[in-house]
Amino acid sequence: MIVLEWLFLTIAPCDAAEPWQLGSQDAATPMMQGIIDLHHDIFFFLILILVFVSRILVRALWHFHYKKNPIPQRIVHGTTIEILRTIFPSIIPMFIAIPSFALLYSMDEVVVDPAITIKAIGHQWYRTYEYSDYNSSDEQSLTFDSYTIPEDDLELGQSRLLEVDNRVVVPAQTHLRIIVTSADVLHSWAVPSLGVKCDAVPGRLNQTSILVQREGVYYGQCSEICGTNHAFMPIVVEAVSRKDYGSRAKPPHTTLRHKRRGPVACLVSSGYELPVFFQEEKINLILIMDQLIADFVSRMGLALPVAILVAVKAGLAE
Amino acid sequence: MAAPKIGQAAYKGPSIIKEIFYGMALGLTAGGLWKMHHWNNQKRTREFYDLLNRGEVTVVLENEVTSP
Repeated sequence: MIVLEWLFLTIAPCDAAEPWQLGSQDAATPMMQGIIDLHHDIFFFLILILVFVSRILVRALWHFHYKKNPIPQRIVHGTTIEILRTIFPSIIPMFIAIPSFALLYSMDEVVVDPAITIKAIGHQWYRTYEYSDYNSSDEQSLTFDSYTIPEDDLELGQSRLLEVDNRVVVPAQTHLRIIVTSADVLHSWAVPSLGVKCDAVPGRLNQTSILVQREGVYYGQCSEICGTNHAFMPIVVEAVSRKDYGSRAKPPHTTLRHKRRGPVACLVSSGYELPVFFQEEKINLILIMDQLIADFVSRMGLALPVAILVAVKAGLAE
Repeated sequence: MAAPKIGQAAYKGPSIIKEIFYGMALGLTAGGLWKMHHWNNQKRTREFYDLLNRGEVTVVLENEVTSP
């Protein structure tokens, strides 16, 4: 088995890209583990077909070499083998499709009530993260920018083009909702260890759910070309234990209150696309308005229609 | 054909059924080795998370909370 391990070289003992890495990074979420398992399932068929076809090719070249077989046979067709070589390859995709669709639909499952919602906003060329579940005493969300650390400022042991000044701190073993958007051009929020790649589209809120299974620091990079510094806006997610999260995810000298989710956030989590005129500032404005009316309307069960009215009103005010 | 009329053994050629059989056997063996590697990986991952959840191992080097 050691020989096999060496041959396949699939061990990447970290949560960032390694030089000469061949396989995937270690999975830190069930989604990424499912992706790796699916890859292994499909790779079995790849190996089967590769070995079979290579052997037939080599044997054909050996047996029908012109010195060994000077007179070639004139075979134009063979019905039995044509039927076999059509049916057998058509069965293989069915075996591939079963685990593939199972994973695809399980990845599409939206977590109904995540503990934390984090907004990841892409800019040229940095990221902004908002923890809107928490209010500071002046009613502002916990918001911070995340810039890459330049190569000249790296400390010993840090990774080039991967480190940032402010990491996204999340609790491990907790359902998270990440809402990804952009303030200017297309970006993408991608973290391979977490099995996440979510495009940041201006004027649109894309949602992805993750459950980080172990503490650690996970690295990713922008995955949609966004200009000259596209390679210099990485992502770093730091998963800490739940008891440490409370002391890590708040600015100093503030108290945290959990804010009830507003109707526009409900709109977003239902999968609706906000109109194009929703810029980042408008989203913040609407979320603040949500706070004002959330207590009344959610109790009355009118969250969605009121959210639509609010959105239309914001658009008319444009 | 001249070859069978000459007094030497004619080359009979390979048997397609045998070649397909040997090829499939080799392919399934190679695929089986890959599957064993995959199951071994799954087992080690499951063991790791079992130990982690029981608290017998930790991924935290130092249990200090430092501000980012």
